[in-house]
Amino acid sequence: MNRRAFVVTLGGAALGALGCRATPKGEVMNPNQKDASGATAAGTEVFKPIIEDALGKLMARQGGTVTPASAGQPAPKRVCFVGLENKSSEELGDFKDQIVQVIDTKINQSGVFQQISGRFVKAGLEATRLRPDQLFLPANQRTFLAAMEAQGQPFDYLLFATLTSGTTREANGTQKNYLLTLELVNLQTGTPDKESAEIRKSYRTSRW
Amino acid sequence: MLRSLVPVVLLCCGCATHADKLTAIRSSYHSGNLPAAHAQIDAGIAKSSREADVLKLDKATALFAEGRVREAEQLMREVRDAFDAKEGRDLKEGVAAMLTDDQRLAYAGEDYEKVLVRFYLALANLMQDGSDATAYALQVNEKQQQIVQSAKPTPDGKNLKENYKLVTAGAYLYGALREETHTNYDDAARAFEQVAKWQPEFAQAKADLERVKTGAHSKPGHGALYVFAMVGRGPYKEERAELVSTVAVLIADRILSALGKQSLPPNVAPIKVPRVVKSVNTVNQVQVFVGGKPVGATQTLTDVGRMAQEQCDATLPETIARAVVRRAVKKGIMYGTKEAIGTDKTQWTSLALDLVGVAWEATESADTRCWGLLPDKIQVLRLELPEGVHSLALKPEGANVTAGAPDAVTVSVENGRNTYIVAHYPGSRMVGKAVTNKPAK
Repeated sequence: MNRRAFVVTLGGAALGALGCRATPKGEVMNPNQKDASGATAAGTEVFKPIIEDALGKLMARQGGTVTPASAGQPAPKRVCFVGLENKSSEELGDFKDQIVQVIDTKINQSGVFQQISGRFVKAGLEATRLRPDQLFLPANQRTFLAAMEAQGQPFDYLLFATLTSGTTREANGTQKNYLLTLELVNLQTGTPDKESAEIRKSYRTSRW
Repeated sequence: MLRSLVPVVLLCCGCATHADKLTAIRSSYHSGNLPAAHAQIDAGIAKSSREADVLKLDKATALFAEGRVREAEQLMREVRDAFDAKEGRDLKEGVAAMLTDDQRLAYAGEDYEKVLVRFYLALANLMQDGSDATAYALQVNEKQQQIVQSAKPTPDGKNLKENYKLVTAGAYLYGALREETHTNYDDAARAFEQVAKWQPEFAQAKADLERVKTGAHSKPGHGALYVFAMVGRGPYKEERAELVSTVAVLIADRILSALGKQSLPPNVAPIKVPRVVKSVNTVNQVQVFVGGKPVGATQTLTDVGRMAQEQCDATLPETIARAVVRRAVKKGIMYGTKEAIGTDKTQWTSLALDLVGVAWEATESADTRCWGLLPDKIQVLRLELPEGVHSLALKPEGANVTAGAPDAVTVSVENGRNTYIVAHYPGSRMVGKAVTNKPAK
């Protein structure tokens, strides 16, 4: 360590020793308050609108194609949401399970679809030892459907969600595009329906 | 003035170090005498509130080894929260530490301790219902990131903590937990990729990664068994004299004494700093037998001793700087006192004050508080076994390990689920018992 650096370190140590300790605090946010924005990664400010956008568009389209039941009421389609695959460059941490729950709830509230409980989905995958990404194959779909029927949980559609990100680097920061893709597969016809929503976010390091 | 200064100096005297108390506790624990270890730890907690947090961690470790995991989790959670609340410096403590030594500062834990307490919490919770284990495992990585990101840069802009060896055990546990969900293989793959990157020597990571990327948790009718072995005697801190800084301060104070109106107390007492000591360990791995047949040996997931030593080395310049500043403050106070009472180098009061100053400096002790019952290494072995009850035997292996009867443990393996065993081997004998989340009924 050179002399200058040592003197600065000494000064820093003196000030550090006499510094002040931050007290942790928490408060309930008002519903109108803006969500916090992650400084280095995506958070609620990205995931909340992206889910609403992608799911809203998919529901709207599917709602229009529903065949009316005898009573004139659209028959709810039974959907098996097999999970969210995170292919982005960021860890979702505790957010992943929350995204799954939000998608689950919104599907049930749509009136177009009826969602199978995630606990049954987990049990079905555990029984068949199939991975969610293997359910794209028709043979695996049949095996999984049989396992779900054995649990009394037949379904008409499989729903897959994938989160991806694209990073553009520039001199003093980066831009990230977050894309949530929902794929709905009709088991009877094998027809897939796909919908995506994107949010762009920029990250910069501020210097004072 | 002189009469009033002496009691102040006596009040500001440092105390005996934590290292002195820890020797006995480590000895009891490592020899398997858990009641004695508990008694020594409890006495230490009752005697010194400044050391209570680290002693509670030691107590929690001993409780874990005994299988009292609920109590262990409760204590560790308490300490984790206390460490978080003590992060950063407090003005009053800072002044007290400048007048005495670093033992006056509230102990917020070494960085590796803050991370490892979360890993232990995850394990302790897993041995019960496991409802909070994923959250604790996630906190391991979160804490590591926070520590590195919030580190103060050095004057030349370097982050001393950037090259910290990271605790892979947390990522590994998170991967195992996510794999068990059967719906989050992507999370498991991400976690095992971290493990492979942070701990390349951990050969098992390749197989784990391959399985979660292309395979399934286990074959139908099978479950996974994770054997965690806490191997060897972990790191502790010792007080060492920092010779280079001591000599530098000695030269500086002699020059100032020669040129100034007042003399400074001679730098008789060395500047003391804590250094992490890594124990020599006899146990290399734990061999696992199922139904009498050897099925594999545990591999190192986290080298706690090495990590602690590297982290101590990284933050040493800051520790030394603080000790040198403290010396300067003390000498400054003595100089100011001499000025205030109007003495000079030739008078006996000056000599008396120098003696008081020497005594004051000599009472400084290094802050050797640490989690003293950590293992040297955290090791793991993953096995896939048919569902049902299995009789296992664990046997430590190493160059100087005395061969004894293997330790037996019976567990229940469930289809598609994880079973965990945690065993503590500080030496050739297991301390406490092998703790499992699924004991055979």
